[in-house]
Amino acid sequence: MRSFDYTSATTLDDVISTLGQTGNGLTRPLAGGTDLLTLMKADIVQPARLIDIKRVPELASGIAASGDGITLGALTTLTEIETSALLQERAPVLTQAAALAATPQLRNMATIAGNLLQRPRCWYYRDEHFQCWLKGGDTCHARDGENQQHAIYRADVSPCVAVHPSDLASALVALDAEVRVRGQGGERTLPLTEFFAPPTDDRRMENVLGDDEIVVSIRIPDADNTRSTYLKAMDRKTWAFALVGVAAVVRQAGGQIEDARIVLSGVAPTPWRVRAAKQALIGSTGDASAIDRAVEAAVAEAQPLEHNGYKLALAKSLIGNALRAVTGDG
Amino acid sequence: MPELHINKLRRGHGEDAFKVVETDPLPRWDKDAKLTVAGTRQTRVEGEEKVTGRARYAYDMRLPGQLYACILRSPHPHARVVKVDTSRAAALTGMRAVVSATDAPKIQWFEESTLFDPRVRYVGDEVAAVAADSEEIAEDALRLIEVEYEPLPFVVDLVAAQKPDAPQLHDDKPGNLPSEPKKYSRGDVEAGLREASVVVDEVYTTQVVLHNCFEPHGCTVSWEGDQLTLWDSTQSVFDVRALVAERLELAEHHVRVVKQHMGGGFGSKQVAWKHTVIAALLSKGSGRPVQLMLDRHAENLSSGNRNATRQHLRIGATADGTLTAIDLQAEQQAGAYMVGGEGSDTSGIFQTLYRCENVHTEQRAVYTNTGPAVAFRAPGHVEGAFALESAMDELARRLKIDPVELRRKNYTELHQPRDVPYTSPDSLRACYDACTEEFGWSSYQKPTADGQKRRGIGFAAHDWGGSGYPPGYAWVKLNTDGSVDVVTGTQDIGSGTRTGLAMVAAEELGMPLESIALHLGDTANGPYAPVSSGSATQATIGPAIRAAAADAKKQLLDAAATFLEVAADKLSIRDGRIWVEGEPNSPVSVANVTNRITPHMIQGHGARGPNPEDKAIRTFGAQCVEVEVDTATGEVTVLRVVASHDCGRVINPTMVDSQIIGAVTQGLGYALIEERIVDYRYGVVLNANLEEYKIPTVADIPEIIHAMVDLPDPEANPTGAKGIGEPPLIPTAPAIANAVYDATGIRVHSLPISRREMLRLLGEQAQAQAQPASGQEATA
Repeated sequence: MRSFDYTSATTLDDVISTLGQTGNGLTRPLAGGTDLLTLMKADIVQPARLIDIKRVPELASGIAASGDGITLGALTTLTEIETSALLQERAPVLTQAAALAATPQLRNMATIAGNLLQRPRCWYYRDEHFQCWLKGGDTCHARDGENQQHAIYRADVSPCVAVHPSDLASALVALDAEVRVRGQGGERTLPLTEFFAPPTDDRRMENVLGDDEIVVSIRIPDADNTRSTYLKAMDRKTWAFALVGVAAVVRQAGGQIEDARIVLSGVAPTPWRVRAAKQALIGSTGDASAIDRAVEAAVAEAQPLEHNGYKLALAKSLIGNALRAVTGDG
Repeated sequence: MPELHINKLRRGHGEDAFKVVETDPLPRWDKDAKLTVAGTRQTRVEGEEKVTGRARYAYDMRLPGQLYACILRSPHPHARVVKVDTSRAAALTGMRAVVSATDAPKIQWFEESTLFDPRVRYVGDEVAAVAADSEEIAEDALRLIEVEYEPLPFVVDLVAAQKPDAPQLHDDKPGNLPSEPKKYSRGDVEAGLREASVVVDEVYTTQVVLHNCFEPHGCTVSWEGDQLTLWDSTQSVFDVRALVAERLELAEHHVRVVKQHMGGGFGSKQVAWKHTVIAALLSKGSGRPVQLMLDRHAENLSSGNRNATRQHLRIGATADGTLTAIDLQAEQQAGAYMVGGEGSDTSGIFQTLYRCENVHTEQRAVYTNTGPAVAFRAPGHVEGAFALESAMDELARRLKIDPVELRRKNYTELHQPRDVPYTSPDSLRACYDACTEEFGWSSYQKPTADGQKRRGIGFAAHDWGGSGYPPGYAWVKLNTDGSVDVVTGTQDIGSGTRTGLAMVAAEELGMPLESIALHLGDTANGPYAPVSSGSATQATIGPAIRAAAADAKKQLLDAAATFLEVAADKLSIRDGRIWVEGEPNSPVSVANVTNRITPHMIQGHGARGPNPEDKAIRTFGAQCVEVEVDTATGEVTVLRVVASHDCGRVINPTMVDSQIIGAVTQGLGYALIEERIVDYRYGVVLNANLEEYKIPTVADIPEIIHAMVDLPDPEANPTGAKGIGEPPLIPTAPAIANAVYDATGIRVHSLPISRREMLRLLGEQAQAQAQPASGQEATA
């Protein structure tokens, strides 16, 4: 790893005033470090300075019920999420996603904000020898290469076919969560559906967070009468990023589905919300034929690459399994 | 006194060579031998050192003034190195030494290539190396080395490399063939196939997998005056010493190689790799000790792999299941160089495992622009068994014979290529019995399929060497206080060698295990022992230690006989005390005798004796597995594994359990998960790490039941023990694949059975079932 300066901040203002690119190089915030340090070791990013944010009170970990929702501090660890009784009761999709992520050691270190901001695992992106489009180059090496782990949605039009690796991001999108961020220009709150955005030529990132901005907290709005779950397919039983993950949140009243939010991990540059599936479910009882229609609708837009057609079959099976789990009697 | 047997060896050129073997006249520990230490469960004698972190590995060395070295590796799969400019790197503060093709001595290495060859042949090939005050400075320095490459056409695929117009890796090896294909034949295969009522004719492919030793390759080197000392993570301290001395033109006694503990080798550390000599050159250049450890990325590019294979197998049987012919054409991916430790005999198992009069095998290694292959735990047999045991299962299905029954039907008590009987002709049968009985094979009831998840069971068998062989030596020294130092030049590659060998010494001496200190892994301190490979160490060095202990015991009893005024042949040792035949009480302890003769030291010398010439020593085994396949998600879950493996006398059941658990774990990874991925457009390994190259986790591993067979093989050697390190990996993958067939009706021909592959196969099956029946069947 290249050498870098390290400082530790105790106020959010200190952090924000130092973040970003200056004449002395890039400053990046350091929390759990589970992604940033691996990127630095692989020489993918070369910050001149890390500013440790773990002691900043405004970002402190915490899972608190507020008036109409639950707020998570940016530094809340995945372990805290996984084991939160409040979340287990009100947002099982999120605790299940946390439990299926990484390993206990990593979950003890990794924070929710870092998890949402983690960069893709694409093996061309992660190899310093490939100057791929996402790193400022001209080519996506995966598009015509070894793309078994890559996107099945928008792969035809996106300049990068890497997938968003987070399990919790999909769960939070399915919960209609929003994120509060602060930067040198002040504070703003935006829904995660807007926070995540496919990378563009001018912004080769999977989100709209500015270089000088930092995630402060995440808020999950209350939703009564919902059931939710997260299912994940991996190349081994644990400790792997999702080949396909499915977050499903369904609201039912009087036996009828009123709302259904299905979000997929591992299939697109951002958590992929399949709105078409919702239409197939609303008004139904979650019967087998409604679920079949939802599954077909969900994958109708998918366009696999040469080596990742299997993800289509996986997505269909997982969506079906998830919907059966949250609509049946079980 | 032992006799020396000196046999002339045939050599193609130069002077004649001779093989010298001492006989070993010890009485054999047969199945009726009354043993008290051998056969008991013992934890590792070095266990406490390891779990407390005191055990020192190559990386743990910290010498005064020590530097840290890194290697610059080729980013091109095939290129000429036109120019290496290290001047900017050399100017960096804290940089101490640099070597490259420009300034390194021309040291011959793999085949005709040199240490820093002017032509690089795979992504990861060594181009230059630096040593600096810290690892970080060394890495910075690598980024400042400017190399001009002239890229050459390359080929990374086993099949493509055999095409007539394929890029050639070695000018003197046309067709990318390192050597003539290796052929074996007995009987008449074509006639045998004509006799058959069923023939399985299939192509099986296996992938490249990486050893991923937890401790990567590396060494710490100190070159002071004319003395070069290497703390190297190697499976053979003597081989490393010989090669380093030869290539650096040093006298062997000026080179010392030490290896006390190892975090896995699995065959990848059985050859001397370039890093040892590179570190030595950097130490010489800087006048400082140098540590050169490979990081995971370098480890997974350049320190060996299990070769991929493509096997075209034809196997025939009559209606009653009698095999009539086995014909194998095997191709295996050698990578960029033959490194001298491949040992990958894919065709071996086809020649030996089953009785068959007509067998023909042909295997060819093929160069590709990828990292070189090297032995990997039961090399060749693991790859071959996947094809052979899958085909045997298929034969059994087509013949409607139970798969275990089919194997029993084709049982052989002969080593057919040598046409001699086995020393343990019944042990494979014993493994069949123990394994299937523990598993409940014949009474297995498949649970009713719930539509999505289906269960099935699979069986596979294997054979392997593991005989051990001469030469190999040991010394036993009795100290004043009656404690014992056992010294040998072998090494403990992490498999429990210290414990197994100390138990042999304790058994022969009649001393408690705690009184034995086992010293190994140091060319300066112990007598010669061969490489720890081929599951041979216990069976090679165990008998040598037993012989040395017997020699020491005889001297001790002779001394005791004088004091006790009893004939020595009336004396024995048990529990650290001397006993007189017929007397109920022991008159004296061993310590008392050694104390009375001190400072004279009793020294026993022992050598490994010859293996029998008229019989073949072999190990055998069998495994049963149960799997569940989720037909909707392609997930394969191994529910249980029962393993029975003949390793002769079981010296320590706990260590044998460990070897079986470890090997089955690697076998499961081979079957379902592991695969090196190379981008064929760039020749780059995309998963040379532990994130994308997945190995099984605890969650992937089911209960592994060791249904032990303990079958002392006294004709093999005087301890009756044979090897267990490699064999339990061999049958796991085919047993899993056969269980997948039982569960789904899908025959797997290609490893690994990943999600992607399983879903592809399930998709094909669904499509075939949706199609109307083909013409012939429709009219039938």
